[in-house]
Order: sequence, then structure tokens, then C-alpha cells
Amino acid sequence: MTLLSVENLRVTFDTEAGLVEAVRGVSFSLGRERLGIVGESGSGKTMTGRAVLRLIRPPGKITADRMVFDGQDLMQASDREMRALRGRRIAMVMQDPKYSLNPVLKVGAQLMEGLRQRDRLGRAEAHAKAVAALEAVQIRDPDRVMDAYPHELSGGMGQRVMIAMMLIPNPDLLIADEPTSALDVTVQAEVLSILDGLVRDRGMGLIFISHDLRLVARFCDRVLVMYKGKVVEELAARDLTRAKHPYTQGLLNCLPRIGGPRQPLPGLDRNAEWAT
Amino acid sequence: MALIEIENLSVTFTAKGRKVRAVQGVSLSVNERESFGLVGESGSGKSTILRAICGMAPITGGTIRIGGQPLPTPRGRAFSRQVQMVFQDPYASLHPRHTIDRTLSEPLAIHGLADTDARVVQALKDVGLPAAFRFRFPHQLSGGQRQRVAIARALMLEPSILLLDEPTSALDASVQAETLNLLNRLRTERGLTFLMVSHDLAVIDHMCDRVLVMQHGRAVEELARETLAAAGMTTDYARSLFAASADRMLET
Amino acid sequence: MSALTQWLRDPSPQSRLQARLGQSFMGWLRFRRNPLAMAGLAVVLLLLVVAAFAPWLAPYDPIAQNLKLRLLPPLTAGHPLGTDDFGRDILSRLIMGSRITLFIITLVAVTAPLFGMLVGTIAGYFGGWTDEILMRVTDIFLAFPKLILALALVAVLGPGMENAVLAIALTSWPPYARVARAETLTVRNSDYIAAVRLQGAGAARIIWGHVMPMCLPSVIIRVTLDMAGVILIAAGLGFLGLGVQPPMPEWGAMISAGRKYLFEQWWVATMPGLAIFIVSLGFNLLGDGLRDVLDPRNSGK
Repeated sequence: MTLLSVENLRVTFDTEAGLVEAVRGVSFSLGRERLGIVGESGSGKTMTGRAVLRLIRPPGKITADRMVFDGQDLMQASDREMRALRGRRIAMVMQDPKYSLNPVLKVGAQLMEGLRQRDRLGRAEAHAKAVAALEAVQIRDPDRVMDAYPHELSGGMGQRVMIAMMLIPNPDLLIADEPTSALDVTVQAEVLSILDGLVRDRGMGLIFISHDLRLVARFCDRVLVMYKGKVVEELAARDLTRAKHPYTQGLLNCLPRIGGPRQPLPGLDRNAEWAT
Repeated sequence: MALIEIENLSVTFTAKGRKVRAVQGVSLSVNERESFGLVGESGSGKSTILRAICGMAPITGGTIRIGGQPLPTPRGRAFSRQVQMVFQDPYASLHPRHTIDRTLSEPLAIHGLADTDARVVQALKDVGLPAAFRFRFPHQLSGGQRQRVAIARALMLEPSILLLDEPTSALDASVQAETLNLLNRLRTERGLTFLMVSHDLAVIDHMCDRVLVMQHGRAVEELARETLAAAGMTTDYARSLFAASADRMLET
Repeated sequence: MSALTQWLRDPSPQSRLQARLGQSFMGWLRFRRNPLAMAGLAVVLLLLVVAAFAPWLAPYDPIAQNLKLRLLPPLTAGHPLGTDDFGRDILSRLIMGSRITLFIITLVAVTAPLFGMLVGTIAGYFGGWTDEILMRVTDIFLAFPKLILALALVAVLGPGMENAVLAIALTSWPPYARVARAETLTVRNSDYIAAVRLQGAGAARIIWGHVMPMCLPSVIIRVTLDMAGVILIAAGLGFLGLGVQPPMPEWGAMISAGRKYLFEQWWVATMPGLAIFIVSLGFNLLGDGLRDVLDPRNSGK
């Protein structure tokens, strides 16, 4: 069943240098599966993720022939309806937990805020649910973390708290924008496998936005490769090594490998035609 | 004799009365024309070592010698002609209100070198940037192009040692490849010595002959390139770093 | 015309001059989008034009008295803004007075920010003792209300336009020092400063060539916002009889003179008041617009 379907999505910015098109006619549909969006900086992958939640600030403008989430037309929805959707049914995890958590509130208060306000739970009940959420992201001492301020947490811990917070309302769709790029490699793998397990267990849809093709291939079912605001190739993750588009191949080959040859790394010849 | 010799180096920052020991008793030596890597995760003290060499971190113990000579404090102009650094973030390391031309000609002006025009044009050519970029501002350049400018700036004074602080971690994969290729080419052409810091073991492996793995401000293990490729590390930490490296993920 | 804009918009300029002009042109395009800022700019330009052509624009001699025509109301034939208690044409006095206002503004706007910026950047860059001493001196100046300090200085130096300017400049540099210091502290530890230091640059070169350009936008913005205050202090000194001396047509002194007739002949004090109001507003709007253009945090994309 289709959870989200997007047709001909465009994001345009009206700047003094003229119109800039960040996303140029992206279409995809998503069931309860894990979809990866890959591209280099400026490819429009982040804008695509934000446009789904209509989180583009002026002078940016979103247009689409169709953008429907679970039967609800996102293009027609009022601001009020969008607010109800965000967080509750569609959640988003950003790159850096430092900027997503409120620095002057304890983690516990931030986790419980939604439960108390939205779901009108009592204090004890909200506390228990928040602790359970922290345990779900494999935080071993949830009580200490509940009592900590965000700056007292390490990057990996902060990102886990963010994921826990996003998953408390049990959303149907999770948009993760470079959720592990700010983390150390050893922590990265851990956080990803937690995310992966949660999405699998709860049957959520996941849009995983990243610049790292190999990472995406490992954690997603399907991959969209974006270049200059367009999707140049869509393929199943397991077929990635058999990618046809030269841009996808280039992205795969230009990374150095441990024990690889010492000759110059293959570059990526950007072909102007790919963008048209 | 080694070109860079670091013996038992300790760096301690004092912040609000609390002491943070960023580097504790690290020793290493880099031979002339060698490329040496420092790898570790955030907070391992790898960048602090580079900053200590440049006199930008408080050294509380140990010695640093370059070419057998202990470094003077402050570092002085002779040091500038010998050692230069490329910073991690190309968006922060170029002055936002100076043109590329000004950024590149500044070191020449400081050291009173002649032929500014010819040298700037040549420097742009050496790092593979078109001459038309000369009078642009940094914000008119992409991240990779900025990093090329930063490399050109570091080479203006023709140093023998280049300190590279995560030079590609802020760049896209394809741009990283181009930048690494450029650095390797410049190293062969000019006989440079590299001391490179990265969190990415694959990048270090591609660039360096020897690697020092660091954790929590201490040296964990020094590996030759062949040992690394053969997964012949002896410490647990080095092994877990190896296992988590990006290019391993696809294969597991 | 389009060849010129083409040249200005050229993404790869051929010379330093073209690069700089191109940048200014992009800034101008951004500035032009803000109608309020454009209104502010129009007021300031009008002030400049009026001051430049004052002797030709003014219909009467601003000092010549004519007691037969004293205290004529506005819209009288030949005296659109009326006349004052000595029968002098108020419009002519306002037009000639714009020169004095502009003179004061320019002198203050050049000296105070420059001095403040020097103090602020030096304090911020060196830190430690230098910072401590310079900032405590700044604090001492900040501790007094501006007008009181200016009054004291004029009282010591003696009344007059030059002394008024000196007093205002001496009292208005501390905020610039503070702004420049704050900006310097954020810039000081940046990689580009580290890079130029690593190239062997000395403190003077770094402060002048690298730190100051980063402080300049916030100081310029602050200056345009403060201009209104400077006009008001100058007017205040004039009002108290310590600034420009009669019969010079200074706006503040004109208000002071009109105070006696405030209830019966309101226009004598109101017209110069309106002039001060409009010019202050113009500078404020201009400052707001410049903030959007010059602030490096906004000009990223």
C-alpha cells in the first residue's frame, strides 16, 4: 500500500540572482519500506525531504502535481493540518542533535512534553513512556539521561535521544536527514542499526537522506540518486553495484578503500546532459 | 634523521579552572617526503597535535623538533616558510571579504616576495583552478574549489611540510577524490612531507605510508600501510575502527 | 546600460575593481528590494542635495531679520513654513541649517566609529590585560549618560559647533568599541585568522586587514542607527545654548528659540522638530536596510 506519493515536486527560490530551482520535478512513491535518497551537496535531497513536510521557508516555493500522504493531500492541507501531521504522523531526524534539542531544558522534560501536551498523559505515565523510548534506542541508563541537559550528552547519545523523541508518537513515516553524519564512525554503525531495527519492528516508512551511497545501500530497500534537483536513477539497493547511470557508478567508485591501489582515485566527470 | 620528531608531547587546556588533557604523552616521527597519518574519533587529540606544532595549543610537556631544531616560541617567519597547514572547513578557512587574489598574495606581501601577479596565476594553475577565479570571492566558489584555494595558499611560501587537518571531511565524495588526487600529485611534484589527520581510515590508508591510531588523547597503535590492509592490528580499538570504516560496511 | 550590468554581474571578474563593484551591485540589488530602506535612502539623499545647494535653494537670507514680517503662520504667500520671532523665513533657515546638521553628522560619523573600532579590535584581539584596561575605560565612558557627558565637555571646552562635535564624538565611541570587540572575539579564533597568523602576519596586519573588515558591517549599521541620536544630541546642545550659537540656523537652537511661542505660534518650534524627525527616521530606515545587506550572516546565499 502506498503511504506517500509525490509527483513532479518542485522547489524554487526567488533570489536577486534570479529563480533558482533546488528540486526540479521529483516523483516517487513510498510504501512501508525504506527509501534512500542519495546525492552530493546541492543535489536537492534535503529540500526534497523538507518539502514533504512543507518546511521550506520563503522565498522558497513548493509546487507539485500531487503530494499525498495516506490519503491526505499535502498541497491542499492548511497550516494547522500540517502542524498536526508533523511529529505525530511524519517525523524528522536532523543531522546534528546539538541544534535540534533545546539546550536549556532537561532531556526528560523535552521527551515528556509531547506526551503530556498532546496525549494528555499523567506525569508518571509520561515518565514511564519516555524511559521506555530511551530503552528502545538502547540507552543503558535512561534515568541519568532523562535528568541530563543536552550538552551533557555525547553526539551519539544526543542523536539517539532525538530518534527516541521522534518515535514516541509512533509516526507512520520517518524522514532521516543525514542522521549519522555528525557522529564518529564506530557510533554511526550503532545508531544506524538501532534506527533500522525500530523501523523494521514498527513497520514504518523511512526516507533516509544521505550523501553516502554505500551507507544507504546497506540500510534501504530502494535508492533514488539525485543530481542537480533531478532523480537520475532509481534502483533496488541490492542492485547498486550494477548501477547503469554513470553518475551513480562514479559516486560508488570515487571513494578510497583500505588496501586499495595507490593510483589516483577515479574522478566524476559531470555531464551537463544528466541535469536536463 | 626524521624531519618531524615529536617526543612525549602533552597538551593541556585550562577552561574555567578545569584541566582538559587533550594530548597525553604522544611520540611520533615523520621522515622527509613521508606521508604520516593520524586517525581517531572526535576528542582523540589528533587535530590538537597539528595545532601544537603551529603554536596554537598550549604545550605542557614533551618536545617538538623539526629538522632536528626545537621550535621557537612564537613560531616566527622561518617556521612559516617551512610548515603550512590546510584546515578542515573550507567555508571557514578563507576570509569571506577577501578575493582569492588577496588571499593568495597576502603571504607574499608578508614575506616581501616579488612577482606577486605571476606567482598567484601560477598557484591557481597548480591546483587546477582557472585563472578567471582570481578575483572571485570565496562565496562564489564551491567547497572543493575553496579547498583548492586553501591548498594553493598553503603552498605560496613553498614549505616543505604540509599539515592537513581533515582536508576532505567537509567535501562530497567525488570532490574528496579530486582533492586527494591533487594533494598526492603536489606531494610527488614538490617532494612535500605530509602530516595528515582524518577520522576516515580509508582516506588515511589511501594517502599515508604510516598511521598512528589515537584515542582519548593517547596513541593506541602505530600501523604501517601493509599491516592495515592485512587487518594486522593488535589492539581492540584499532580493530573496531577498522571494522566500522565506511568502505567495509557494504561488504559485511 | 545592459552592458554595464552584464559587466557588474560577471561571475569571473577580471580585476580587483570589477570584483568590488560587482559585489556592491549585488548588495544594491538586495537593498532595492526593501521599500522602507529605499525611503530612508531617499531622505538621506535629499538631505545631501539640499545641503549641497542650500544657498541657491533658500529663498531668503536665513539671518536677515525683518520685524515687520515676524511670526507669520505657515502657507503665507512667500513663506510656506512661516517666519520666526525675528521675521526670518523658517524654510530658508531649515535649508541652511541642513548644512550644519550634515557637518556635525559627518564629523561624528568619521571620528567616533574609527576610534571605537580601533579600541574594540585591539582589546578583542589581544585579550588579557590590554582588553581589561581598554574595556574598563570604555565602561567609564558608558557609565555616564551621553548628553550629560557632552554637556560637561562643552562646559569645559566652551560653546560652539566644533566643540559640540568634539564632545559628541568623545561620548559616542564606546558603543562602537563594544560592538567591534564582540565581533572581534568571534572572528579571532576562526580558521582564516589562524591561517594568516601561520603565514607569519603581525598583529597590526591581522587587525587592520582581517579583523576590521569583519567588524565594519555591524559598525556601519550601528552608525546609521546612531545618526538619529547624534542629530538629537546636537539639537539638544543647541537647545541648551551650548552648541551652535545664534544667529546660525541650527535646528536644535531653532526649536529652543521657538519654545517661547509654543502655544500661540506652534510652527516656530514644530518645523525644525519635523526636520529632525524626518532626517532621524531616514537614517534609521537606512540603517535597517543596510543591516539586511551587509550582515554577513544574511549574505551567505
